[in-house]
Amino acid sequence: MSIVKRTWTVNGTSVAIRAPAGRRLLDLLREDLGLIGSKESCGEGECGACTVIIDDEPVVSCLVPVGQLPDGTDILTIEGIEKKRAGRLLRQAYVECGAVQCGFCIPGMVVGSYALLRKNPRPSAQAIRAGLAGNLCRCTGYAKIIAAVKLAAARLAGRRK
Amino acid sequence: MAKSLPRIRRLVGQPFPRVDADGKARGTTRYLADRHYPGLRHGVVVRSPVPRGILKAVVPDPDFDWTGIVLATAKDIPGINVVHMHDRTMPLLAEIGGEIRYRGEPVGVVAAKTPELAAAAAARVRVEVDELPPLLTLQEAVATFKSAPARFDSMKNQDIVKGDLAHGFAAADEILEAEYWAGHQEQLYLENQGLVVVPQKDGSILAEGSIQCPYFPVHELNDPLKLPPEKIRVRQTPIGGAFGGKEEYPTMLVGYAAVAALKSGRPVKIAYERHEDILFTPKRHPVWSRYKVGFKKDGTLTAIECDFILDGGAYLTISDVVMFRGILHCAVAYRCDHVTIRGKVARTHSVPCGAFRGFGAPQAIWGIESHVDAIAARLGKTPDAYRLQIHARPGDRTPTGQILSKENGATDCLRLALRRADFARKLKQCSRGRLLKGQKKYYGVGLSFFAHGAAFTGDGEAKFKAKGRVELALLDDGRPGVDIRVSSTEMGQGVHTVFTQIAADALDLDPARIRFPLADTALVPNSGPTVASRTTMVVGNVVHRAALDLKSQIEAFAALRHFRGAAARLRGSRLVAQGGKSVPFAKVAREMLAELGGASGFFQFELPADIRWDQTTFKGDSYPGYSWSANVAEIEIDPLTCEIAVKRVCAVLDIGRVVNPVTAAGQVEGGLTQALGYALLEKIGTGPNGLYDAARLQTYIIPTALDVPEFDVKFVEYPYSFAPPGAKGLGELPMDGLAPAIANAVAAAIGVRLRRLPITPEAIHAALHPVSGGAP
Amino acid sequence: MKTTEHIDIRCPRTLAEALRLQADERTRGTLLAGGTDLMVQWASGVPTPVRATSVWNLPEISAIEVCADCLEIGAGVTHAFLVDCTQVHRHLPALAAAAATVGAAQIQARGTLGGNAANASPAGDTAPALLVTGGSVVLASVSGTREVPLDRFWTAYRRIDARPDEIIVAFRLPKKGKAQERFRKIGTRRAQAISKVMAASRILVEKGRIQSVAIALGSIAPTPVRLSEVEALLAGQKPTPALIDEAEKLAQASVRPIADIRSTAEYRRWASGRLVRAALENL
Repeated sequence: MSIVKRTWTVNGTSVAIRAPAGRRLLDLLREDLGLIGSKESCGEGECGACTVIIDDEPVVSCLVPVGQLPDGTDILTIEGIEKKRAGRLLRQAYVECGAVQCGFCIPGMVVGSYALLRKNPRPSAQAIRAGLAGNLCRCTGYAKIIAAVKLAAARLAGRRK
Repeated sequence: MAKSLPRIRRLVGQPFPRVDADGKARGTTRYLADRHYPGLRHGVVVRSPVPRGILKAVVPDPDFDWTGIVLATAKDIPGINVVHMHDRTMPLLAEIGGEIRYRGEPVGVVAAKTPELAAAAAARVRVEVDELPPLLTLQEAVATFKSAPARFDSMKNQDIVKGDLAHGFAAADEILEAEYWAGHQEQLYLENQGLVVVPQKDGSILAEGSIQCPYFPVHELNDPLKLPPEKIRVRQTPIGGAFGGKEEYPTMLVGYAAVAALKSGRPVKIAYERHEDILFTPKRHPVWSRYKVGFKKDGTLTAIECDFILDGGAYLTISDVVMFRGILHCAVAYRCDHVTIRGKVARTHSVPCGAFRGFGAPQAIWGIESHVDAIAARLGKTPDAYRLQIHARPGDRTPTGQILSKENGATDCLRLALRRADFARKLKQCSRGRLLKGQKKYYGVGLSFFAHGAAFTGDGEAKFKAKGRVELALLDDGRPGVDIRVSSTEMGQGVHTVFTQIAADALDLDPARIRFPLADTALVPNSGPTVASRTTMVVGNVVHRAALDLKSQIEAFAALRHFRGAAARLRGSRLVAQGGKSVPFAKVAREMLAELGGASGFFQFELPADIRWDQTTFKGDSYPGYSWSANVAEIEIDPLTCEIAVKRVCAVLDIGRVVNPVTAAGQVEGGLTQALGYALLEKIGTGPNGLYDAARLQTYIIPTALDVPEFDVKFVEYPYSFAPPGAKGLGELPMDGLAPAIANAVAAAIGVRLRRLPITPEAIHAALHPVSGGAP
Repeated sequence: MKTTEHIDIRCPRTLAEALRLQADERTRGTLLAGGTDLMVQWASGVPTPVRATSVWNLPEISAIEVCADCLEIGAGVTHAFLVDCTQVHRHLPALAAAAATVGAAQIQARGTLGGNAANASPAGDTAPALLVTGGSVVLASVSGTREVPLDRFWTAYRRIDARPDEIIVAFRLPKKGKAQERFRKIGTRRAQAISKVMAASRILVEKGRIQSVAIALGSIAPTPVRLSEVEALLAGQKPTPALIDEAEKLAQASVRPIADIRSTAEYRRWASGRLVRAALENL
């Protein structure tokens, strides 16, 4: 086992890490940093419930060993999404549109939606479907999730004008 | 047209925002995995390595360091080693000398400080079994049923008989017979199964976790744990999806964890990872059905004969009731005087099947809705016209003899779905195996029409007497409000929201003053399990009536205390007397809490006195109410690859009064998506080694956002007038009928009917390109 | 389960450092790029190695270089990068299309071209698209670099032509020029799916005849394969409906797929021909 020391930015705050290089980022976030919003469901990168954003890219944190993330890595989790305007708009839209049922996929889904809007601020319904295809939901049939992302995108665009 | 009760309340019927959504969307809601338990041990179940045999020994490896690790086996079970379920045959942990009946059957529980250590220790327990030959699949069981019925091992039989089948067939001009198959389906709740059992100083236990029916363990584990119901306390943590999967199974988990907890004296948590969850927890029952239906030239059905066999797995658990619901849905939606349905639960040496949204009904509706289409085709009638001709209407008698009530939107659902989907026009565009001009893909449109019996079967609700309270309490902000105290669990379906609406309307109180704490058997009366599409209909009525009871108590107190005995009404969160004098609810509630120690409204559910049901003959009123639906599916099949795409789905539903149109539509869209998976994607079976063959998310394929079409969901409202606010069942209905609608669309697209679910590109290819002499 | 915590993962900052680690048996580790295959295998019970060497984010292998007639794509380039790169779309459209079908956004952000090739799954999504370019893999070790033609790179089921001390550093992929490239994957669903069958093609038609042709399939053999018999049939011919029929049948006759949890042998055989047809129609 090799222990690594790193300094990252997690949700905008500088955080010093000391952990086995092979520790999964998901475990580190949940257990060491107490960021329990990222969920584990499949543990093999299929469901997206543990999605976080690393250096502007959405990733499944269950497949990332912490050793691979160098000093200066910027990590955004559901807990940090609230600090972003797009994140707040997404959260509100999810609630308003009835996109939340059991909720277990939702933090990963919101983070995935945030990453999607960063790349494509006015996505079509098809682009939303494709962009969120890595986030499985068993409750909603995705319809209200897609509506929520559209609503948040529209509000985001509206405020920017 | 739909009639509606006069709308005198404010929130019922409105898209009231979900009360639990914000925390879930922020990631602050604490599910089981997010909670900390001091002194916790992690439990791992030790399992049989073979599907069948006699258990000889369970031996911990002496070379392993067992310090601080507990291994509990059947010997450690305090009482009688049997879980109640429905027939008291299943041991909690297999006994030495007893028969192992499925691969993975639990023989012990290891508890250790970390999940990794517990797993390592569990792997060092040698499980010795003298193997016996297993019968693993429904396919094999049905082969026996056909060739040697005497040797067919059925755990439960039940027939429904109406009229005289021979007479019905004699009257027929034509008879059509066919068999329909469907495989297992995994619930695939996103949060895996898990719970923790905390042993208490007085010898009782507290179980907490992702549990759909908290009262089940309270009444199912008394024998093995040697604990009376009051010494088994169960409370739910927020549930990350259940769909029936957390109905009966968590009882087993409570038992496993409790045995280890009682032995170690420490809290023990068992939390499955995805692989173990898929491998060893119950699935939807595979089905084989054979419909033989007689009909006249004009289409009138003269006889319906149906054999309906479910694969129950190794133990009955609750499969009898699943089969009952199945046979009750085999022919309920169509007029026919002579009906015989024979239901059976096959025993196989595989993981016991269990509850999954629909609970036998999707299996039944899959067969009949395919068969009705096939009959229509034989008659040269269109599927829509034929269903409009033969579907059951108010006043008709069901196969059990129940007279359908007027609270019945069946015809409306059918007509409206056909109109919204433009069915008749689209039917003409179906390819039927040959691309029409301008088509690049085979196109098909398919229809299904069906009912779902809401609430417990027959007079089950009358016997059960669901109980609930609504009581005054100080809420989290220190100000008074009311708590809803029922055992219904929030698992994503929205019960916390709709009950808040119902209670707020009944009390005429600000919904912000209403709290619905997570169910805890120490604090809530038994309002029954959160199953059977009964919650809003039955328990919603309990909440409504209990709230009215509380309201009258508050009003009586206020009248005496503030208005010299003059009548006061709780209205808009104030107690208002004649003449307009008023006192805030908060003031009165504080006084009642201080002076009376609180106040509590109570109600116990009743059914109309004329509900009659004979559980032995299956005659009478099989359900208190029926919800109805029609689904239209449009699909395309790529002739290049046989890949299937569902393009559009229209669902029109009569669920009685719609309490919350947004959460209701969300239920429908989610249920339709699960049904789409059932129809096309979700393929899993028991392999030759006795294990499920698709036990990871890489191999068990559920729909992604790209696999799901746009949904057109519409409600028609025929409220259940006996139980205000008048909801009927919703939860299961959307899962029931989309698979046959898709199968009917596939038949319309390629001109060949497929009779096995899921319908894969491989199956379509095989149907279009039969290999002469080869296996189908 | 925390099966990966005890793995001694070395995370070098440069390629040279990684090569030095791999040169010595005592420090050599299983090469780990984006982890989208290996982390999954390790989570699902495949025995974990004692040591791993991370090649994630090594600057020397994380870029795309556009040369006169080829693209040199660093092995560490992610699928997301390929999907977003206009040069890849212009010159290697089959590869861009293939990369877009790998998992979904999260997997594309971490999975690398080198990792996908090294994993050597017959269902590796990018392999057929790589094969039809006629390009090569560049391997490096402390003793220098070596170039292996892609059609000799996958030697057997999950085996590649690479020494234990070597690291895949790049892919040299000739641009398609005037040829047409196509890619089609039949997966278990519309996204986040492993393929049942997939095909990539690069075909140049000039003066009504097929001047050059490369067709490769995935998921129908122990390795990704070029359909050399079909290519031989097509070379120099006019792509007539009769020829396309013949090519479809020959493809079906020449593959020996297996049945597994995702599909049947019969379907795979049939679909192999259908995808060859799709590669040839309307050229």
